[in-house]
Amino acid sequence: MIGVNQVSQMWLGLKQALNLLFSLDQEVYKIIMLSLSVSLTATFISSIIGAPLGIFIGIKNFPFKRILVRLLYTMMSIPPVIAGLVVFLIISRKGPFGYLGLVYTPAAMIIAQSCLITPIIMGIVYNGTKERGSLIKALGKTLGASSGQAMLLLIRELRTNILSAVVTGYGRAVSEVGAVMIVGGNIKGHTRVMTTTIAMLQSMGDYSTAIAIGIVLLGISFLINSILYHFQQGA
Amino acid sequence: MKSWRRKGRVLTLVAVFVVIAVIGCTKPAVAPGHLAEQEKSGKEAGGSLIMATTTSTENSGLLTFLLPKFKEDTGIDVKVVAVGTGQALKLGEDGEADVLLVHAKSAEEDFVKAGHGLERFDVMYNDFVLIGPEEDPLQIKELAGRDIAAAFQRIYEEKGKFLSRGDDSGTHKAELKLWKEINVEPAGDWYFSVGRGMGEVIQMSDEVRGYSLSDRATYLSMRDKLDLDILVEGDSKLFNQYGVIAVNPNKNDKINKEGAQAFIEWILSEKGQNLIAEFGKVQYGQSLFIPNANK
Amino acid sequence: MNVLLRNIVKVYEQFPALEIEEWSIKSGALWGLIGPNGAGKSTLSKIIGRLEAATAGEISYDGNPYTTQLQKEMTVVFQKPYLLRTTVWENIAYPLKIRGYGTKEIKNAVEDILYQMEIGPIMHQKSWTLSGGEAQKVALARALVFKPRLLILDEPTANIDPAAVAVMEKMIRRANEEAQITVLMVTHSLQQAKRLCKEVAFMHRGKIVEAGPTEQILYHPSSALTKKFVQGELLID
Repeated sequence: MIGVNQVSQMWLGLKQALNLLFSLDQEVYKIIMLSLSVSLTATFISSIIGAPLGIFIGIKNFPFKRILVRLLYTMMSIPPVIAGLVVFLIISRKGPFGYLGLVYTPAAMIIAQSCLITPIIMGIVYNGTKERGSLIKALGKTLGASSGQAMLLLIRELRTNILSAVVTGYGRAVSEVGAVMIVGGNIKGHTRVMTTTIAMLQSMGDYSTAIAIGIVLLGISFLINSILYHFQQGA
Repeated sequence: MKSWRRKGRVLTLVAVFVVIAVIGCTKPAVAPGHLAEQEKSGKEAGGSLIMATTTSTENSGLLTFLLPKFKEDTGIDVKVVAVGTGQALKLGEDGEADVLLVHAKSAEEDFVKAGHGLERFDVMYNDFVLIGPEEDPLQIKELAGRDIAAAFQRIYEEKGKFLSRGDDSGTHKAELKLWKEINVEPAGDWYFSVGRGMGEVIQMSDEVRGYSLSDRATYLSMRDKLDLDILVEGDSKLFNQYGVIAVNPNKNDKINKEGAQAFIEWILSEKGQNLIAEFGKVQYGQSLFIPNANK
Repeated sequence: MNVLLRNIVKVYEQFPALEIEEWSIKSGALWGLIGPNGAGKSTLSKIIGRLEAATAGEISYDGNPYTTQLQKEMTVVFQKPYLLRTTVWENIAYPLKIRGYGTKEIKNAVEDILYQMEIGPIMHQKSWTLSGGEAQKVALARALVFKPRLLILDEPTANIDPAAVAVMEKMIRRANEEAQITVLMVTHSLQQAKRLCKEVAFMHRGKIVEAGPTEQILYHPSSALTKKFVQGELLID
């Protein structure tokens, strides 16, 4: 009896998801847009930092590299709540950067997500570079590429890997709830994103709307993965 | 041939995944029943009872104080699911809990009227307080005194930062009622609808130096870590009545009707009521909940 | 390009892998580097091609020390070539593009080499769809297209089909004879050395045992070790 009830919640959610999407509900669109823009910005920042560093660690040898790599792998699986908490403590009113007034703003959410996914992007790019990086570098040299041209060549050759790192990072950012809840605060119209909405609706017992937003989130992930798949086929 | 064999292998793999997925999906749905099953087998020892309640009773420590004493008396082990009043009622409606301890009187009465619960009893009340930054930029404490309506009016007119639970909880409903009384539609840049629990909202108010409506117990339990003061208290509009309801046992055969009855009788008894009055006196120097069962 | 090696030493974990007192590669030469597995042929070719650094010693190119500018005039083709993840055409055009050639020059040069190496039909294929022989031909075409002055080949025809080997040997010979490209080729095949190389050097345990005209080394070696090797008794040391 209970099971039937839960399944009917999911059906209701599916119907409601379609309604939500096509009813042009301003609040829902605002939530979706904020989710996308916060996570896209965080992914952009993390890619700018993470991808070159990942390549660098992949092709260069230096002391303590193995410890650094182990640290990097650990950071890749850092729980979002911990990342959120650390960022919160730094930017909260009594924290070292409290004077910037960042807490409970989209900027704070971007910072927290960037902290979370920079190691992920870095780690995936490092893995791809580790395998082929030195080969590509050697090839560049034998064909007479300058160091700048060799760097471009590396990026071009590792593009599928970098792209999948970026998409993985984005997927992690957009689906993450712990960190944005802590630093963003789920304030309606300011910092409320899809995942915090789902958590909130669940706590309010509104399961069907929670599922509806979840379906929208899933749809977006599907779209992103389709694009990635398309690119991987092409390269 | 080979490709066929491979297809067969893939199909088997898919089938295994589907089975795992189905098992994985159905498990949570039967879990409460499973708990109830354990109850029945352990009937001699008193069994166990699932209580859905609001975060305030759990966070304040009241249940941690009361439930061991209840177990001593009856042998019944109470499993607490602490959620918002809205979700607590929903859990009752779905037959996922045996007894409810919540604080939204009219919603509770509707719940019983709809046949989801047997009967509702007053248990105790606590009160809401308006909290805000100790520097009180709007001088609410001075200007409003005990009058919560005046305080809300002033926050609205001066566009002071106000943080709302925004989660359909009892506290949120009480807050909305206060806005309605002064004919204000709370919305705009000054009004932050947070959609989170009381503790988080208090924490956020402290952080952004805003005003908020809180239950006294949760505020007192966090007071030491905050730069927030109580600015308005004691207005009769701020009293918050808690009720207890046994979930209608016709929901499913897992519901522990006897346990629910025992809990209701115990908490309404003189002993239960005295324990409620006692709670908090040592730590805060005042009772956090005032018992008012009319037996 | 004249290459002169003096007192080259390469040490791996305190174990000397290479000790070359003196070796001179004259401009226009076509050298074969032979010897058992583990003799140091690959390491030596990489050191000359500047892909690895020697622990000690010096190499001069046309009488001058190495400069990065020289890198554009020499190239190394590996046993397992790395092809760029794009088409055959783009792979071969790449060294010309980074040298700033014009579109028309690139088109002419690439088409010419595609035709000579008989890989015109696969020019639009992606590199990862090629067979081993095709991939190796593309790697050689990519090395020849920019007309380096020194071409170093590390067993470029190992494990590929005889037809592809024939085309590659033809191209290496043509590069040496017509374009005056100096060639140094590591090979495990004495037959290939006989067919292709004007001179060979026999390496054993990190040292060049003897070097000279192919005929002399393969048929009248002065060292007993070389004799053993050419008779097929010293394939693995």
